[in-house]
Amino acid sequence: MMRRFLLLLLNEVKLLSTTLPIHFIALFQPALMFSLMAFVLISPTFDINVARSGIPEQKYLVTMMEQVGSPVGDAYMRPIQVEWEQGDPIPRGQIVWIDTSSGKTTVTQTFGLIDSNMVKNFRNRLTSAALLLWQKSLGSAAIEVEQVPQLPRDVSYRVYFGLAMIPLAAFIGASFVGAFLTAQEFEFKTITEYQLAPVSWGMILSTRLLRLCITGIISGIILGLFLYLFDRALPSSLLFALLVLFAMGLIGACVGTGMALLLRSTLPAFVTTLTSAFFFWIMGGAFGLPAGFGGAYEAVSRWMPNTYAVKTLYSLYYGVGEVELGSALVNLFIFASIGCLGVMLIYIRVMLRRGEGEQ
Amino acid sequence: MKRFWILFRTELLAWRRDPITALGGIIPPSLILIAFSLLFGGRLSFNIAVVNHDAGHYGDILRDTFNEVISPLNDVPYYSVLDMAESEALAAYQSHEVDGVWVIPADFSARIESADNPKITMYFSNYIDDRAKNHRIYSSEILWAFYERIGMPEPPLGVEEEYPLPVMIDWVPIIAVGIALLSASLGSIFNMYALTYKEQISGVTLEFGLAPRSLFWVWTPKILLATIFGLISSTAFLVVVKLWLGFWPGRFLIAAWVLLGLVCLFWIGLAVVIGMHSRNYMAGALAVVLGAIIIFFIGGGMGLVRFHSEEVLKIAWLFPNTHAIDPLRDLILFHTWPIDWSRTLLTLISFAALSLTIGISMSSRGVRRSG
Repeated sequence: MMRRFLLLLLNEVKLLSTTLPIHFIALFQPALMFSLMAFVLISPTFDINVARSGIPEQKYLVTMMEQVGSPVGDAYMRPIQVEWEQGDPIPRGQIVWIDTSSGKTTVTQTFGLIDSNMVKNFRNRLTSAALLLWQKSLGSAAIEVEQVPQLPRDVSYRVYFGLAMIPLAAFIGASFVGAFLTAQEFEFKTITEYQLAPVSWGMILSTRLLRLCITGIISGIILGLFLYLFDRALPSSLLFALLVLFAMGLIGACVGTGMALLLRSTLPAFVTTLTSAFFFWIMGGAFGLPAGFGGAYEAVSRWMPNTYAVKTLYSLYYGVGEVELGSALVNLFIFASIGCLGVMLIYIRVMLRRGEGEQ
Repeated sequence: MKRFWILFRTELLAWRRDPITALGGIIPPSLILIAFSLLFGGRLSFNIAVVNHDAGHYGDILRDTFNEVISPLNDVPYYSVLDMAESEALAAYQSHEVDGVWVIPADFSARIESADNPKITMYFSNYIDDRAKNHRIYSSEILWAFYERIGMPEPPLGVEEEYPLPVMIDWVPIIAVGIALLSASLGSIFNMYALTYKEQISGVTLEFGLAPRSLFWVWTPKILLATIFGLISSTAFLVVVKLWLGFWPGRFLIAAWVLLGLVCLFWIGLAVVIGMHSRNYMAGALAVVLGAIIIFFIGGGMGLVRFHSEEVLKIAWLFPNTHAIDPLRDLILFHTWPIDWSRTLLTLISFAALSLTIGISMSSRGVRRSG
């Protein structure tokens, strides 16, 4: 029994040599995506254009702008002094200038853009700089906001983004290859060999899922290595991290194989696995822990396997929230079990009934 | 011409057999839009707990101030405040149910009245530097408004704002236009593959290779149909955007189609090279589709490019999507003619021409050589 299983597994591994380019893309695409996005992820430091003038308040304002930032991280503003007069085009969407025309000194922020997110970001930064001036003028009447951050230093967005992509990588590695291999069995009629094989369907399916799972784990490890290279970030327990990759790889394998069994054609199976991969990723805490977004997003995210994978990896990478680690892993494996059950039912329905009909 | 229509009709019928692939430009983008709408379209306030121990009335005023300071993003308060006991609040904070906790001490009012260094404690999560930044700079907005409410002496510098238009556009519509462009790209790519896949698995490429006529008759209907489907996909997606978010290009629809169509032609050029080479067909398809998705993320799909061109990766400028995205936003969201229309048009035509020339010549040579 075990020997047959191993022979089948070996056969699955041999299939790799016939589909090397597919494996290469499925394994490295998430790492490539992470590497490119790592450079364009939002940075807390914004360039702020300030119109040069001889008014003393401008000098004070620029000094305050340089002071706004994290005491355990980056500065939030890089003031750039430019020659500018009212009516001139607005450089890079926004300019700050001092107005004394009404007899009262005000700082005016003139926007060239109407993107509410950018307006918010520029506004908050200027308010922070102007508030520093106000605080100084108030002296001991000024209210101090004592900052107690959760972690000893502000962690780069890239670390969270990378760890949230690791489950995506495992899912993509397993699901794309699974969809492709299984659909091609139908397209090239090699599926008949499996139907006629004198071994149980459970053994055939489990070797396929296991082999896909390994592909998913490798894809996740590759992304993890990229994350380490960028930020020297490593999980506190490799065993738990591998369990996450195993579960996500298994879910990906079930989705890819299941879709291909149902659709029996490569391109439609690819469209559906692609859609599920990116939907699960975005809805499963791709840009921040779902609890932080609340509302409908958080409610829907509870039904996404990535949410629990991300929660577990968050605990492992940040060293906080260990209490939730166990329950997140259990939830993740519940998803994996549902996936296995689903693909088994599809397999029985599609392969065995189809085989009976043809015979 | 008769030959062209025969081939065109044959290709058109191929869609019936594979409707899911034909909808490859609609299904993934629609789900991505739903995901982003849930993520960024809801109430984007930070959930925080406020623990008010203050014996005086300033603590209550500060508590009320949280609800009154409105963010330009989605026009909601920066903070969504829950009143909790301190232990409950800190437990919720540790489990990320709230993003921060503000603790107002018992002597807060007394210290304000005596100008004796009043203090508040702000606990906040900093697992992402950008979220920590928001906590810090949002707290400035709260404090500014609080000072104004309690009648502190005037600030040395007043703050004012000027906008070019009376309305602002939220983040989700900005992303939605990026997804519309992705929809056009994926629509054309998937349909080009749908139109060439049958040839691959049935070995029809050999017949193409032996055809006595120019291969122009093979490519043209495929390119035309893939472009049409790219445009249909993005237009269908724009209808969803209109119904959901209320944005539609209106009288600028044809201009938007021109930009979308040229982007489609670029991706078709890439797809056709791989579509006619059987050896690495699916790997190529995978690479092109995933490439288009990566370009969505790095080529301005989630934010304006024009004002941040220095931060856009050089590699992203090698794809037409990055050049087309902001002019498309001008047409769809702002109903204004893009200031860089002529330059954009020329750039996109160059991209499309180059891609199609290389794509058609390489694939023709490949088909003639090996079938």
